[in-house]
Amino acid sequence: MKTEPIWKSWFARHGAKLLLFARQQSRRPDEAEDLLQEAFVRIWRLYGHTGEVAPGLVYRAIRRLAIDWARSIDRRQARENRVAMESPLALSFDRTLEQDERKQALLRAVERLPDQQKEVVILKIWGELTFDEIARTLDESLNTVASRYRYALQKLRNLVPEEMEGKKEGLTQ
Amino acid sequence: MNEFEKLEAELKELVPGPPSDEFTSRLENALGDAGNVAMRCMPNQEERKDDFAQARQPSSSIRFPRLLAFSGLAGLGLAAVWAVIFYLSSSIAPEGKTVKNLVDIPVIAQSNIPDSLLVAKEDPDSPLHGLSLDQLEDVSAMPVSGWSDPQINERFIRVVDEGIFEHPSGLPARRVRQYFMDETLWSHPASDTRILSTTPREEVLFIELDTY
Repeated sequence: MKTEPIWKSWFARHGAKLLLFARQQSRRPDEAEDLLQEAFVRIWRLYGHTGEVAPGLVYRAIRRLAIDWARSIDRRQARENRVAMESPLALSFDRTLEQDERKQALLRAVERLPDQQKEVVILKIWGELTFDEIARTLDESLNTVASRYRYALQKLRNLVPEEMEGKKEGLTQ
Repeated sequence: MNEFEKLEAELKELVPGPPSDEFTSRLENALGDAGNVAMRCMPNQEERKDDFAQARQPSSSIRFPRLLAFSGLAGLGLAAVWAVIFYLSSSIAPEGKTVKNLVDIPVIAQSNIPDSLLVAKEDPDSPLHGLSLDQLEDVSAMPVSGWSDPQINERFIRVVDEGIFEHPSGLPARRVRQYFMDETLWSHPASDTRILSTTPREEVLFIELDTY
């Protein structure tokens, strides 16, 4: 009988989604992995013995840690000094997207969403959480979360054509 | 499909890439013992065909030092099995009957061992006081030589969380108890004899907790 730590298969299933959320929360690509590591280790130490941990717990821990870290002076300074860098969200996705204009435009449009809407979209679309789980993760009401998601989709509907146009204009100039 | 549903479907088509291997191994280091508390048992193809092969083939997860430790104990274990068989054969037999009548093998009860054998010169290789290996072979009806190397298998049973304790360092720690079954199989190809010994084992882990 071969044995393997359960966390490995758990992380293989949820790691990509969690890292995406950590990137959105941390805003700095180099901080996202630290954030995810810290959150995951804390949660797994508390609940890992059960063999199954609800992903919502780790999302919640990521968000709380991100808030804590943002409060620290050094990290806030780093955020203020943030220079225009590659989009953290784009970092999370396959590089072959560069060939797909529509998908690229979609990602850029998501990037342009207000933070509160963006985190709901990430948790709903890629985190595959229910509105109820998202509400608990973000400490918001169910109605607020659902509204933000609806507004986000409305915005995306308008932003994607803009992004497509912008790209075309950029190419013609 | 309305416009929003189409948009959602398009977004779902974008799949975030997995974390790097380097990050995963960093995570493994950071987890330490906490990562090994919950384990998943994965029977392989061969084991499904033949459950007994499980005991024959050592698990790949057995660590080398543990394997050495078990091998060292193997001889002692085999001797203990002999001793138990010998004891049973001499004590369970009803009065007036010899073990030979019961199990149809050439075994003699302890009371029938000649006095001269009992005071024989001590055999350093024999696990039983007063009996040489040859005599033991006769008495137990089991071969002494020709045994293959013992096969060791560690079987994970379950894990129990015992709650939070104060570590001697003063920090809170979670105490987790893991239960294993260690199986040792001795086989004697010439006589097609196999002896399987199972020993329960438990490990206690203290996982230090961060005060968050």
